[in-house]
Amino acid sequence: MTLLSDTRYIFVRYLTKLVRTPILLFFSLFQPILFLVLFTQLLNKLSSFPGVLPTVNGVPIPYLEFAAAGIVMQNAFGSALQSGNSIVADIDSGFLQKMLVTPLSRPAILLGRLSSDAFRVVVQTAIILALGYALGVAEHQSFYVATGVVGILLIFFTLAFFGLAWSGISLALGMKTRSSETVFAIGGVITFPLLFLSPSLFPLNFLPPWVQTVSMFNPVSYCVTATRALMINGYQWSTILPAWGVIGLVALITMSATLYQFRKVVS
Amino acid sequence: MTDIIKVENLVEVYSDGTKAVDDISFSVKEGEFFGFLGPNGAGKSTTIKILTTLLRKTSGTVTIAGYDVEKQAADIRKIIGVQSQDTTVDGDLTGRENITLQGHFHQMKTEDIKKRVNELLRLVGLEEAADRRGRNYSGGMKKRLDLATALVHKPKILFLDEPTTGLDPQSRSTIWSYLEKLNKEEDITIFLTTQYLEEADKLCKRLSIIDVGKIVASGSPIELKREIGADSIRIALENCKKDNANAKELIKTLTDVTEIIDSEECLTVYAKNAGLLIADLVRALDSRDIRIASVTFSSPSLDDVFMKHTGRRIRTEEFVKAPSSMWSGGRR
Repeated sequence: MTLLSDTRYIFVRYLTKLVRTPILLFFSLFQPILFLVLFTQLLNKLSSFPGVLPTVNGVPIPYLEFAAAGIVMQNAFGSALQSGNSIVADIDSGFLQKMLVTPLSRPAILLGRLSSDAFRVVVQTAIILALGYALGVAEHQSFYVATGVVGILLIFFTLAFFGLAWSGISLALGMKTRSSETVFAIGGVITFPLLFLSPSLFPLNFLPPWVQTVSMFNPVSYCVTATRALMINGYQWSTILPAWGVIGLVALITMSATLYQFRKVVS
Repeated sequence: MTDIIKVENLVEVYSDGTKAVDDISFSVKEGEFFGFLGPNGAGKSTTIKILTTLLRKTSGTVTIAGYDVEKQAADIRKIIGVQSQDTTVDGDLTGRENITLQGHFHQMKTEDIKKRVNELLRLVGLEEAADRRGRNYSGGMKKRLDLATALVHKPKILFLDEPTTGLDPQSRSTIWSYLEKLNKEEDITIFLTTQYLEEADKLCKRLSIIDVGKIVASGSPIELKREIGADSIRIALENCKKDNANAKELIKTLTDVTEIIDSEECLTVYAKNAGLLIADLVRALDSRDIRIASVTFSSPSLDDVFMKHTGRRIRTEEFVKAPSSMWSGGRR
């Protein structure tokens, strides 16, 4: 009972902070939107080469629609990695201590943070998809989600879940190193390789064989393929369920690390 | 009256082997205004962290209102208010939101919080600034807001870790008057740490002087100062090296002088009644052509008490962090 209401207060606090520092929102949306607008323009011609992009009813889909799944993924990455900085800020300012001398439920501190991360990923994903739709319409290209409203909700779920799993990394790092520079540096170092060593922005068969091999061990690949399936093909459970399994596994590891560090900080 | 804080043989050893708190025992009675006076790094913050359930002790027993600090930490958190050394105000939230949030952390009812928040804003004089964001507050306002957040649930005991460090004199005396009011009118037991002599002297009914993890003296400020028993006269000579020994010989012969020691300015003389002695002293030195640069005298201060027990003076870093607040003061 108190866990739920305490989580809500922490959740509202973080969202309020986010809304009141629009510059943070701007920066985390800037990169995905830049990719969405520029990158897809640059590679627009890809769809005229047969056999590169997947086809729907025998017609290759526009690159914009293909890349959207990768871009919302990139966005989830970016937001998740800011999570650790918030905990560093709370430790540095003493706000965490201030929470800890009250009867506030301890798990609520983490749950509130994580749920605000998840909420943020969902909102940003919605913004990016809407923008993608507008771009598609403007260029007379198709941009739709094959699975409809339920599919969009499932995409939200997949990305929020993925975001949580990665929040775990930045939270654990933040509590361990207490330095937002380190969180950012390590975050940057792992984000881009994982993104490019997966079929996020290019189709798998377009990638060199070694990257194809590496991408099989990259959790991002599973997640992006599932999101793309929901957008283009429909309910491909054989792709979606394994992706959830992989994210769950990653989340289990990162959350254990986070909990371990959190215990050390709290006691 | 019962002991609301009871500390016996408390020891805190950090993982690097530093003994931050070295076997201290003390108790605080209900309704008392009690203080820890000591320089930076004496172990004040460490003790407060243990007492407020933030840090595990290495050994010893600590009970707060009868609750064991480790086994019954949850019960203690309900009845204490804590203001830490760093001012912890969420700059993205308004003053009102900061206090309200703290009320929620204490699981108070929303309507109770609303009432209490207005009361507290009035108490700390932040009614007008209530709906401005914390980051636009001046340093003094932030401290006052921080104090208000610690009071939202009407705590029985208030722990204040250096509540006025870094504040300008005016903000400091404002905080002092709130604290005295809280102690008297709301009957809150207050445990305060400070490195400021005047603060301890003015506020605390009883205090312990702490240095390098140990309590070196305890009592009321008056009792402690009475122990010194003498006023001090500090004399600076124009040529201290040359005249030092001569001057000492001479002063020794004057009546009522209890002790003469070398000090920073040159000499410090302890005497029963400094006011009466000064004229004789100046005349005597003048008669031997020993040139005096300055003479000051003072009644015993807590600094003298500290000096007596540790051989050093408390060095307070009096720098004021005002600039940051001045910058933000203009913009809204």
